[in-house]
Amino acid sequence: MNAAALLLEIKGLRAGYGEVDVLHGIDLEIRDGEFVCIIGANTAGKSTILRAISRLVPRASGTLRFAGADLSTRASHEVPALGIAHVPEGRHVFPDMSVEDNLMLGAFTARSASDLPERMQRIFELFPRLRERRSQLAGTLSGGEQQMVAVGRALMLNPKLLLLDEPSHGLAPKVVEEMHDAFVKIHSGGTSILLVEQNVGLALDVATRGYVLETGRITLQGSSAELSQNPAVRAAYLGI
Amino acid sequence: MKKWFALAAVIAVAAVVPLLLNPTGYWIRVLTFTLLFAAMAQAWNLIGGLANQTSLGHAAFFGIGAYTSTILLLKFGISPWLGMFAAGALGGLAALVIAIPTLRLQGHYFALATLAFGEVMRVIANVWTPLTGGPGGLSVPFTPPSFAAYSFKQLLPHAYIALAALIIVTAIFEFIRRGAMGYRLRAIRENQAAAEVIGIDTTKVKLQTAVISGALMAMLGTLYAQVAVFFDPDTVFSAAAISIRVALIAILGGVGTAAGPILGALFIIPVEELMNDLFSAGAAGLSQLIFGAILIAVILWRPRGFITLWDSLRARFARGEARR
Ligand SMILES: Nc1ncnc2c1ncn2[C@@H]1O[C@H](COP(=O)(O)OP(=O)(O)OP(=O)(O)O)[C@@H](O)[C@H]1O
Ligand SMILES: [Mg+2]
Repeated sequence: MNAAALLLEIKGLRAGYGEVDVLHGIDLEIRDGEFVCIIGANTAGKSTILRAISRLVPRASGTLRFAGADLSTRASHEVPALGIAHVPEGRHVFPDMSVEDNLMLGAFTARSASDLPERMQRIFELFPRLRERRSQLAGTLSGGEQQMVAVGRALMLNPKLLLLDEPSHGLAPKVVEEMHDAFVKIHSGGTSILLVEQNVGLALDVATRGYVLETGRITLQGSSAELSQNPAVRAAYLGI
Repeated sequence: MKKWFALAAVIAVAAVVPLLLNPTGYWIRVLTFTLLFAAMAQAWNLIGGLANQTSLGHAAFFGIGAYTSTILLLKFGISPWLGMFAAGALGGLAALVIAIPTLRLQGHYFALATLAFGEVMRVIANVWTPLTGGPGGLSVPFTPPSFAAYSFKQLLPHAYIALAALIIVTAIFEFIRRGAMGYRLRAIRENQAAAEVIGIDTTKVKLQTAVISGALMAMLGTLYAQVAVFFDPDTVFSAAAISIRVALIAILGGVGTAAGPILGALFIIPVEELMNDLFSAGAAGLSQLIFGAILIAVILWRPRGFITLWDSLRARFARGEARR
């Protein structure tokens, strides 16, 4: 595991929106091919970490490196081209565009790529429901289908790292399962994943490693097995 | 093909109408202002429709345009045709300056901030007397009639210039809407958060749109100055008569569509004139009251603009065809 190259390196990340910091010095690493999750209570700052990686937080300092590039000098619109695809919190689709157009827009910064039809086929294999609804307007899809569109749109980029912000929030249990099966497939296809998830049991099921975030600080980290055995995690997040 | 033919027919009809009106009469004036306001609403439609940022401050750019070309003509004898481009440059610059701090604002906050900007420009024009002539306004100096000097004895040439302006601004609108920039704007409009994470530089696209919109609006301010011959700060920087009216025209016609501002202007400007004609003898403000009531009724009837009337007519026609 440790032989794999460092993909994402975060050191001493402080970030916030107004005067106050939301993140007070975060250290986090992802090696090539890892599936890592961040767990933590509401307002702990989980989304802010993902948004800082995507350069969407107005104020952030500290080391942010991705595959050799210094992220802190990049603007948010330059991040996807580096190979980072972000599925933001909430079901963010383009409602008046077809499923296909939504997916195509995911490759916005890779428009010159010649294999876009193949990429779309792979997404349809991952989410067969989207193939059936390829020409339907995304705004008329069910919540779960919209989230599939959002994930599929991110995959159109062929990212090295996929950032997932509570992708199963508010979805029916069956759809949540479907979604997590898809994440495991995406991961085994070679894409590294950083997953933020409220459903801690599920997150530790699919991810290999995890970080516990409390009010802007990492308080625990370890393999998923370690974390799910940890008494504090069990009490606070697994309700055991 | 059929579409281009229809378009050519509409332009041909529009080109003939001015000839049918009494060249020294009242209706040629109404027509000129209708065309001008349609062009203004189309310029507004770039930022208000394509970028979905409801500006209520477009009078700022309009007034800047009217003053720029007129001051250049008065002080340096520069033809308003050239002054129009200086107006466009200044209008674009002003749009950039106001857009940088305000474009982050959403919805009502953006509308209020731009409204305030328009009012600030009005106040500045009123107090900066050495340059603008202050509240007394400016008269466009008389020059011997010629096309090069943008000076005409009659309104007819002005009507054609306004028509040409409307065609050009509409062409620019359509070009942007159908192009890569329009695609980016559409993504931003439909879901800003999603547009950001797929790598669209949302700030840059909106700024570009704001600058083009402001520049065009300022150039139309020059056309207005040449038709009106006299204007003052309270007219060209008016929140009600310019800023809100152009937004209303586009919204009433169908915001974000090329035909919307044209339909809106064809309705609002003549109806407003008609109301003034019919009811100005009555109690003070009666005509405005009736005009306001008509606007409310229309918005309730067609909340998404007259353009939807066309869509439902076409749908009905298509059903009829299918039945046959
Ligand atoms: N755009 C913003 N402006 C100001 N404050 C914000 C903004 N976004 C988040 N915050 C604040 O930052 C803190 C962390 O928010 P963040 O969204 O990162 O938490 P989270 O762990 O993702 O929570 P949740 O589980 O509810 O999604 C919160 O206190 C929140 O109020
Ligand atoms: Mg969150």
